[in-house]
Amino acid sequence: MSTNTHETTAAIGGRRLRFAWYVLLVALLAIGGYGGYLRLAEGLRATNLSSTVPWGAWVAFYIYFVGLSAGAFLVSTLSNVFEVDGMHEIEREALFVAIVSMIVALTFVLVDLGRMDRLWHPFAWRQPLSVLSWEVHAYALYIIVLSGELYFSMRRDLVARSEADDGLRGRIAGLLTLGRTETSEESLETDRTWLKRLGMVGIPLAIVFVHGGTGNLFAVAAARSYWFSALFPVIFITSAVVSGMALIALLYVLRARLGSRALDTDLLERMAALFVGFVVLDASLKVLEAFVGIYSLHPGHVESWLTIMTGEMWWSFWVVMVGLGWIAPLVLLHRRDWRRRPALVAAAGASVVLGVIGTRFNIVVPAQIEPALYGLPTGYYVPSTPEWLLSLGIVALGVLIYTIGTELLPLVPRGEIHD
Amino acid sequence: MSESEAADEPMPTIPGSSGDDSEDSEDFDDSYDEMVDVEATDPRVELEKTTYRTDLGIEMAEDARRVSRGELSSAAYWEKYDDDAATEFGDDYRETPNPAVDRDDGTIDEETAETLGCSVGSMASVAAALEASENAADAESKSDGDGDGDDPRWGMVIDLQKCVGCESCTVACKAENRTPPGVSYNVVLEREEGEYPNVSRTNVPRPCMQCEKPPCVQVCPVSATYKMDNGVVNIDYDRCIGCRYCMVACPYDARYFDFGENYDGEFDEGGEVTSPEYGTDRGPREDGESPVGNVRKCNFCHHRLERGEEPACVETCVGDARYMGDLEDTDSDVNELASSSRAFQLKEKEGTDPNVYYLK
Repeated sequence: MSTNTHETTAAIGGRRLRFAWYVLLVALLAIGGYGGYLRLAEGLRATNLSSTVPWGAWVAFYIYFVGLSAGAFLVSTLSNVFEVDGMHEIEREALFVAIVSMIVALTFVLVDLGRMDRLWHPFAWRQPLSVLSWEVHAYALYIIVLSGELYFSMRRDLVARSEADDGLRGRIAGLLTLGRTETSEESLETDRTWLKRLGMVGIPLAIVFVHGGTGNLFAVAAARSYWFSALFPVIFITSAVVSGMALIALLYVLRARLGSRALDTDLLERMAALFVGFVVLDASLKVLEAFVGIYSLHPGHVESWLTIMTGEMWWSFWVVMVGLGWIAPLVLLHRRDWRRRPALVAAAGASVVLGVIGTRFNIVVPAQIEPALYGLPTGYYVPSTPEWLLSLGIVALGVLIYTIGTELLPLVPRGEIHD
Repeated sequence: MSESEAADEPMPTIPGSSGDDSEDSEDFDDSYDEMVDVEATDPRVELEKTTYRTDLGIEMAEDARRVSRGELSSAAYWEKYDDDAATEFGDDYRETPNPAVDRDDGTIDEETAETLGCSVGSMASVAAALEASENAADAESKSDGDGDGDDPRWGMVIDLQKCVGCESCTVACKAENRTPPGVSYNVVLEREEGEYPNVSRTNVPRPCMQCEKPPCVQVCPVSATYKMDNGVVNIDYDRCIGCRYCMVACPYDARYFDFGENYDGEFDEGGEVTSPEYGTDRGPREDGESPVGNVRKCNFCHHRLERGEEPACVETCVGDARYMGDLEDTDSDVNELASSSRAFQLKEKEGTDPNVYYLK
């Protein structure tokens, strides 16, 4: 009767799992709430940030989630702009993940501000030479584009659901149609046209502004030679695509396993192959970048790389970034028949989703360790407990929004469900 | 001067006038008077050096003493000398406001003031008028100039040969700007080079460089930090959102984040200390208002520059190693020193063009 996967899996076991999942999320939110309380009560004193290392975990998570969003969005364009076969199945999921990731990213920005009450200032006062000023506007526009795309992609199913379902889902679906309830072929064609148009606006927006621009935030800071490289924004984009693809692949397998949605093995293989390709590209660019930096013998570069590879957080480079982010996916997916096995693709996805977190930390922190002038104190930073707790809570918030979204929204296209 | 003050303070005597007032504690007063007498100049000799009447000067001075002792009213004094002064000093007398007639806190009532020939109006208003006319003249004379009016371009020169590394600049800065823990607008970097016995030690004081091309200003998303016409890079605490991008962009690590810490337990009411920067009192820090949560940095003691004083670090420097002045004024010390062959800027290749110069 319904298109929703969860309703069709009304088995007792499924319900229990779902209940446990919500309990877990609420528990994580409560833990995060305590971190948030400490953040509000003590201000940024609750962090381990200092004037030497002013950017830490929250900035790393912010760029991580912006990257996830840009990556997930680019996966969605494979369907609606480039019309790759079979990708339509994951288009909405990818768009929704992109929106939720932006919400999470901007929440990290909010809690990181010294004066959270002035979050609106960048819209009131601008600075045309500031990359950050442009970024803030790009993020807002990007979220609008994503929401528009998701609307045009979902509208037909929203109309169908509002007609078929009298409950909460039906009413929400009715509201979200924004009153456009016509489902003639002509109106659906309009939807497709606008979806494609928005996708085409979104591609340069996501690549150049949202994620390339976020890389630019760092790359233009000439004072930090580790960041000051034109390859930096490019690497931001490739690792964004890698993390976004990893997450979408992981979610695709998970949702198929938990729901009754059938797994399209050809689609899985296609995703896995693209994914491996981008992991190789991303790793190659990073190696080139590191080579040029270290070869220069410029102290800013050399010190930063030494900090990354041999410093206190060496494991975040060797284990997380290289191990989980590069080696694990390449090992897990290097054979064609392995790329067709959902468990391996999901494992590779999960591994990279975690691995790119290491990449982001290794971007933000090491460049600030070496002092700008000889004689100034050397930086030291590992995130404080409140920083970890609040980070956990913000991520849990995102997962909760995503979970509720999968329950309420027709994120899986009708007609592609095989019971 | 009020009468009570006049009664309390021992006044330097004018020789030959009523300097021998018998009051109590004579010995004490006398010993001071003698000390003063040694240094005192003969008013007659001094006045004769001028083109004005010596006898009138002496007479006015003696009566002025009476006014300050309360034996004569200020109004009576000025009525008595109004004509003489007008004749003697002419336009200078008529155009210069007289502090006694100064509107708000003058010692003469308005009616009397109206009868006098000297100009009536506050010192400030007359000064402003004078300044305006000067500015107009200046603007005319350099209308084809670079358009920065008569704003100075504040610059600092630090002579590393004179710096002894005592850090009194750092301390003076903390005391002047009341910076909290973790915020120190000025630090002194130390560098030792060579091996015993050929060792040299250099101390490099580091305030904000007030760059001509400041990277911090470039990156601020809300224009909260900006370059002023006088060369100082300013921070608007009411606009800054605390994103700390400027700190990351600064090649000199000269910016500090105010985490809201206080010197609690180190002295009483540590949290009530306010930040007097930019001439604004922002209330007790305990309330968590700006500049808590903002980025802060040296502003060349802008509030002191505004009242014609040197920055605290310059004033306090025991070795006289720091110079402050207008880099655009070719007669200034800083202009001369900054163009000497010993002069250099920190990280010149960054292209930031600091307004702080060092002498090797």
